[in-house]
Amino acid sequence: MLNYTIRKLLGMIPMLLIITFLIYAGIELMPGDVIDFLIPMDQLAEMTPEEIEAFRVAKGLDGPMIVRYFSWLKGVCTGDLGYSLQNNMPVGTLMMQKLPATIELSLAALFISSILGVLLGIISAIRKGKLADNVLTIAGMIGVAIPQFLFGVFCIIFFCLNLGWFPVGQRGTTGLLDELHHLFLPAFVLGISMTAGVMRYSRSSMLDSMNCDYVKTARAKGLPEWKVNLFHGFRVACTPVMVLIGFRLPMLISGSIVIENIFQWPGVGRWFTDAVKTQNTPIIMSVGLFMVLLVLLSSLLVDIMTAILDPRVKLS
Amino acid sequence: MSNTIKKTALDRKLDKIRDLEESGKLATKLTNRTVRKIMANKLAVFGTALFLIICILCFAAPLFTQYSSTAISLRDRTAPPSAEHIFGTDQMGRDIWARMLYGGRISIIVGLGSALGAALIGVTLGMYAGYKGGWLDKIIFKVSDVFLSFPQMVLIIIIVALVGQSLENMIVIFILTGWPSMYRMARSKVLSLKEAEFVQALRAFGVSDVKIAFKHLFPNTVGPVVVNITLSTAMFILQEASLSVLGYGVPQEIATWGNIINVITNAGTIRYDWLGYWWMWLPCAIMLILFVLAINFIGDGLRDASDPTQIG
Repeated sequence: MLNYTIRKLLGMIPMLLIITFLIYAGIELMPGDVIDFLIPMDQLAEMTPEEIEAFRVAKGLDGPMIVRYFSWLKGVCTGDLGYSLQNNMPVGTLMMQKLPATIELSLAALFISSILGVLLGIISAIRKGKLADNVLTIAGMIGVAIPQFLFGVFCIIFFCLNLGWFPVGQRGTTGLLDELHHLFLPAFVLGISMTAGVMRYSRSSMLDSMNCDYVKTARAKGLPEWKVNLFHGFRVACTPVMVLIGFRLPMLISGSIVIENIFQWPGVGRWFTDAVKTQNTPIIMSVGLFMVLLVLLSSLLVDIMTAILDPRVKLS
Repeated sequence: MSNTIKKTALDRKLDKIRDLEESGKLATKLTNRTVRKIMANKLAVFGTALFLIICILCFAAPLFTQYSSTAISLRDRTAPPSAEHIFGTDQMGRDIWARMLYGGRISIIVGLGSALGAALIGVTLGMYAGYKGGWLDKIIFKVSDVFLSFPQMVLIIIIVALVGQSLENMIVIFILTGWPSMYRMARSKVLSLKEAEFVQALRAFGVSDVKIAFKHLFPNTVGPVVVNITLSTAMFILQEASLSVLGYGVPQEIATWGNIINVITNAGTIRYDWLGYWWMWLPCAIMLILFVLAINFIGDGLRDASDPTQIG
């Protein structure tokens, strides 16, 4: 297992190099000059070409792309993520401010969707073919069909503007209670879109395991129904559900980009969309690196988790 | 006394079926098992009907509205729904109903076109490279690995910023980001069939690789591919709408469902002052949700129907 993990981690390095290089080249090829975003237009009109060139050198935007890519890479390896082109703040420091917000939001959404999805999935498996199952299945399909941002807008209109239960947007600042108060709605909206998938998956794997002999044995022994379902049925149905949740992590990141914008959540996703608009290379690179690393690590995590949960799986 | 035996309920039922069969009524019914199974699935039938209705509304738009989707009429700005404009007009006086229909055209073309394109590329590569194996397979697999390492939204946003916003680019970008999953699916199917006896027999007869891959292996993947195409169509339509909201979608001047709903957002944040003009975005949002729902119903029905392990 350790061997496998190390091998996989080492295999990520060339992958990361290729991907970061591709992103860097992509930013480089984007239409428009970064300088246009950095200096106000009226100021730019008065500058001489020499002044612009001097500015470019000062910002480290001169020289061939390859050289700049490798100097960025060298920086990353030594823990220096560079400076935001816009305000000269160190990207590392900014990242430390934004990252907790995104992680908090994603984990809360993951938590909500896993608990809700597994719970509803079990209910719908136990009540298969009955009213509850049908209602849940259709509700799940509607949940998947609503674009995330629209669901966010509906929730804001209903819960924030009409009922006034939750504050609109932003992150809580004063104490834990305030933070949770702000966190709930965006996390709920982000989580709901994943819930349907988890629900469906746990329903079908629960149905599979409920047909197994050991579940019938447990029932024949005279165990109470809830014990049969929970300890015998669900425990085995858990593995595929875990795998699914692991695979959903990247989706969570994609979703958080939209949700962070709608809820004005000061996280990495919103930062990223803003940075792409102004071609702020150091920020795009750092966020890109972080997200790709997250995808690769979560797929590794899924591999390891399956091996731990299911002894029949051999990692090679 | 008559020597007839008393018929049970089951006997009567079977007699009825035999009578039907002899009179040829059963035989003329749908014979394809897949079609029959879909027809038995109420949700799938409902989804197909809804899908067809929305498609007809959109593609025969001139029959259902006399307005154009782009004609600006500054006198009728932000008019609420009335007999003249069923769903009112937007902030530039354009008829919302007309925009919904003409916008639907674009959205459906983007969604369906991208899904078909992604399937064409992904399945072709998956079938051929998966069957051939060797260096070609290794390279394509690595390339798809690179694509799949990005959260999809991040990749799309970077490429949109790179190539610029236009309708054609949107489709190309969706194809670019959509093919790897199709490729993986086709490839895994081929790998599981590669050593099957019928393939070995074909090889022994000297049938060419291309012919084995596309004529004999391909039919085995049609089921999952069609399911994947329907579900991808829904996904691309949703993504088009999300991208519009973030300001990375199809250019604003082209009516699409995403761009119409976008009236309530400005570069990602909600414009609260526009929420009250519900007719400008809500009907279109509902149409989009219904369409995606219809496609998902169809996709689910197809998945169940094309799964040979389910008897029906």
